[in-house]
Amino acid sequence: MRHLDPDRLALLALAEPLDSFEAGHLAECPGCRHDLDALRHVAELGAEGPDLDRLPAPPARVWEGIEAALDPPERRGRRSHWLLAAAAVVVLAVAGTVVLNRIVRAPAETVTARATLKPLATVPADANGTVRVLSGGEMRVDVRNLPLTSGFHEVWLIDPDHPTKMIAIGNLTDRPDATLPVPPGVDMNRYRLVDISDEPHDGDAAHSGHSLLRGTLTS
Amino acid sequence: MDSDGELAERLRDGDEKALREAYDQHGATVFYLAQRVLGNRADAEDVTQLTFVAAWTGRAGFDPQRGTMLGWLLGIAKRKAVDRLRSAARDRRVAETVSAQAPAPDETEPPERIIDRLIIADELSRLPAEQRRTLELAFFDDLTHPQIAAVTGLPLGTVKSHIRRGMANLRRRWEVDGAAFGSRSAGASRAR
Repeated sequence: MRHLDPDRLALLALAEPLDSFEAGHLAECPGCRHDLDALRHVAELGAEGPDLDRLPAPPARVWEGIEAALDPPERRGRRSHWLLAAAAVVVLAVAGTVVLNRIVRAPAETVTARATLKPLATVPADANGTVRVLSGGEMRVDVRNLPLTSGFHEVWLIDPDHPTKMIAIGNLTDRPDATLPVPPGVDMNRYRLVDISDEPHDGDAAHSGHSLLRGTLTS
Repeated sequence: MDSDGELAERLRDGDEKALREAYDQHGATVFYLAQRVLGNRADAEDVTQLTFVAAWTGRAGFDPQRGTMLGWLLGIAKRKAVDRLRSAARDRRVAETVSAQAPAPDETEPPERIIDRLIIADELSRLPAEQRRTLELAFFDDLTHPQIAAVTGLPLGTVKSHIRRGMANLRRRWEVDGAAFGSRSAGASRAR
């Protein structure tokens, strides 16, 4: 018995009509029928998708949970001692600052990380800025001499190890300084690159690709 | 598959960054499977987390010769999700109540079939661009081969050869990954 050509079967699985020889052969041959069924099944699965590139990533807390589970307990133990010591220093420092501030004036606030923003090559060299992350989960952004925009300026936190991963923090207004909330649970060690972009009013929430200032947060 | 091999090697060596890369590549796909099987987001997040932790502790068990990293991860995720469903069912029996709020898991599509779809979608995304485009037009837009030739400007012979090769690749991947990691039930196996 002459079997159907495997290449021909692939075409038949995708809408190509059977001729009378093929129809006759398939009625008789379980092997070819099986192959055609398998290919049709694959085509059906393929048609249902999904498009993997468009699946939403799990929220950041999932990875944080994984990381925490990988961390050997003894290492975490050591770290927590160290953290306690560091915390004690911070408490002392804060206490000192509070006392000083009481004496001098402004309310107390702890800066947990800061960054100096520098202009990218295409941006006037006098553009600059600073970012302070406050212990309360806010970010104070102070920018100077940004080029004018017909759209708006947006603040991002980017993972420099995976530059396509980024979090939109908020927009800057006409005032040079803005205080923006950082979404809870954001890993600032990972998303440590601050980016200020020029965004057109095009209804596209993604980064325009037009960065003006950048700087890396350090604690 | 080469990148799988390299990633597997780094995983075996205990490189946590390799796990992060596997998560970046496949976390969304694992999460999708978990959501489809479990029908709720919070459980799906847990199962995604458990899957990658289990992948880390069981990393010596991944053999890139037998199948892809995605196939392996989805096999783990399926077991975790099914365990979660069973324990949820047990909890309900113990409480003798049926939770009205929890959306019913998608019972019309078995986990094995969801995995098959994801594996095929992954293989589709790895095909050479022209092959991929040709198959997508055939799958999603339901075009005939002459129509595909007209849309793409490719000769009809080329369209047909893309379809033949692309289909052969998809089928091979479906059979390899389905057989390798027990992601498919024995009854559904098409292996002769």
